[in-house]
Amino acid sequence: MDRLPTSTGLLRRPLRPLRERGWCIALAALALGLALPAQGQNPLPPDKAFRFSARFLDGQTVEARFAIADGYYLYRDKVHFAVEPATAGLTVPPLPEGKVKEDQFFGRVETYRGGLVVRLALKDVKPGQQVVIAAESQGCADIGLCYPPTVQRVTLALPEASVIQNTPSDKKPWFN
Amino acid sequence: MKRRLRNGLILGVAALIALAAGAGFALWDRPPKRADALFALSLPDTGGTRQSLEQWRGKVLVVNFWATWCEPCREEMPEFVRAQTELGPRGLQFVGIAVDQADKVGRFARELHLNYPALIGGYDAMEVSQGLGNHLAALPFTIIIDRQGRIAETHLGPLKPNQLRSIISDLL
Repeated sequence: MDRLPTSTGLLRRPLRPLRERGWCIALAALALGLALPAQGQNPLPPDKAFRFSARFLDGQTVEARFAIADGYYLYRDKVHFAVEPATAGLTVPPLPEGKVKEDQFFGRVETYRGGLVVRLALKDVKPGQQVVIAAESQGCADIGLCYPPTVQRVTLALPEASVIQNTPSDKKPWFN
Repeated sequence: MKRRLRNGLILGVAALIALAAGAGFALWDRPPKRADALFALSLPDTGGTRQSLEQWRGKVLVVNFWATWCEPCREEMPEFVRAQTELGPRGLQFVGIAVDQADKVGRFARELHLNYPALIGGYDAMEVSQGLGNHLAALPFTIIIDRQGRIAETHLGPLKPNQLRSIISDLL
């Protein structure tokens, strides 16, 4: 009865394994296809490991935020902010304290994990005006990798009323 | 039935495409065979004198991209110093390319009693490393080259001492 399909009622049973096999093969091949290039650990690019965003809180305050991926950390003394145009008059408050670590070569260093939020003050931005917040950062991954200093830029427009734009733009790495 | 067979076929084809894409990416990700772009580099040492990497062609060459601000880089370097001492007479040559400031590199090299050249690299050097497989421009990144100038191995992240020795001993 379950040997050969002789009626529409029996057709389904022998064919189901074929369909299931198809899915299994597809999934196995997909997994293999994805696994081949992922031999070892795949570190994140710096703009994903240290994702920067910024938004206006009010006409004179920008909230700058780094979302730091699990297993990654930023060095406190390597975090810097700038605004373009400079006439917007940026004031950066002291950064929050990080986790203290004794480095054999550099001595006392502080690091951030998880995230970092800083409220930046802007002195002179008019409603509707666009500003670019540039954030430089440098950090490492626990798997034993470090990234050169990287700059991420976010373009913001101070809203006329209540609409806020927040567009991540180009990232420019540099060295030294 | 036809529809199911067709679905099966579509799945099979999709599976083959996925496999081919993965295999293709893995092959693309492999280092190129020759290290000519590295040998073409000429970089200042900590004293400011330009050094061409071409001068070390013919040796088993270990080129290590590092920086003083990279702790994992510093941690693996004492093993490089030991390997240079032990295997240098058999034709092994380490060269460090630091993405860093010369004064800091010089200070660290003195502290570590670095027994191989420490060159200072910038954009050009990092671009070469990216071309040779360091897609993230991260550190440490190490390239091992045989006596014929072919790339035997590239490695992102710290090298385990036994891993390093195993690769080198096959080439010496």
